[in-house]
Amino acid sequence: MLDGWDDEQLLAALGEAVRARQAVPDSFVDTGKSAYAWHNIDAELAQLTYDSQRDRRSATVTRSETASIRALTFTSAHLSLELEVTGSSLLGQIIPLRSGTLEIQTRAGATTTTPVDEIGCFAIDPIPDGPFRLRCRTADDTDVLTGWITL
Amino acid sequence: MRDDPSVVALVARAAGDDPGAWNELVDRYAPLVWAICTRYELSSHDSEDVGQTVWLLLVEQLGKLREPAALPGWLATTTKRECLRVVMASHRSDRLTSLDDALQFVDDAVIDEEILMAERNAGLRAALAELPPRCRQLMSMLLRDPPCSYSEISATLQIAMGSIGPQRARCLERLRRSDTLTALGADEFEINTPGGGPGA
Repeated sequence: MLDGWDDEQLLAALGEAVRARQAVPDSFVDTGKSAYAWHNIDAELAQLTYDSQRDRRSATVTRSETASIRALTFTSAHLSLELEVTGSSLLGQIIPLRSGTLEIQTRAGATTTTPVDEIGCFAIDPIPDGPFRLRCRTADDTDVLTGWITL
Repeated sequence: MRDDPSVVALVARAAGDDPGAWNELVDRYAPLVWAICTRYELSSHDSEDVGQTVWLLLVEQLGKLREPAALPGWLATTTKRECLRVVMASHRSDRLTSLDDALQFVDDAVIDEEILMAERNAGLRAALAELPPRCRQLMSMLLRDPPCSYSEISATLQIAMGSIGPQRARCLERLRRSDTLTALGADEFEINTPGGGPGA
């Protein structure tokens, strides 16, 4: 097996292995490690399915707001979260419409809570500085967690 | 390598409550996830998003993986799927007219090769980490890019220039005999032998 490799080949392979690890940004690894904080949390993950900044092609979708407004949609099996940045605040709505509570969680571990009204609307003001994620618990016990959001 | 017992043990420990095991898994396989994102030519921002989703999905799946030993394959497939999602949603989709095109953007054989390389590299890094401190220091100086000169090594490690060659050979031999490397399957060492020489 490795006996077939001479020292130079082994050194070259080691160099390649070390460089492959060095090529990965620390933040990429740290994000992966911090994901463990969600171990044993019984929430459903919502995926980012629309981001106005990224999905410019879909800009033809009729939106009453101007194009400069950032809009995001997170979708899970049971509900969607639609978010829109308006000035310093973030407005959102749960689809299908239902009430509940919304937690705003930052990477540093801070959590704030805001109510979701009967038509599924909520407001986050101010928008957190750093990356954050939303965990939405509705009256009918649906528990959904978004990926990290940076605005 | 798919049967690497250390991966199975790490997954089992992480599925319990062991952040150390989880960190080890991430350290070990982040390069695989990253390499696949690179293959899809994602921006670093998109790569971070994909990486985050992949690890979060893994956290959810820890106790449910049917075949923990096949974790590298699971990670590669999940990363590929998330990359495709990003690729399809980005402007690049202008030149990708169908999902078929997107799927062909990166060939499955390329992904398979990334899995093998990631496994080999992880094994080599683990073997390096297990070396005694003196060997590890010497190796790290030799593996720097560009490598340190023998005079620099001699000054830093306080060894005679003439002993560096023999020590280097002893350290490499030790590495070659390490359990971590002997546990690696022979097959993957037949592909892509560095230096262009024959493999096993």
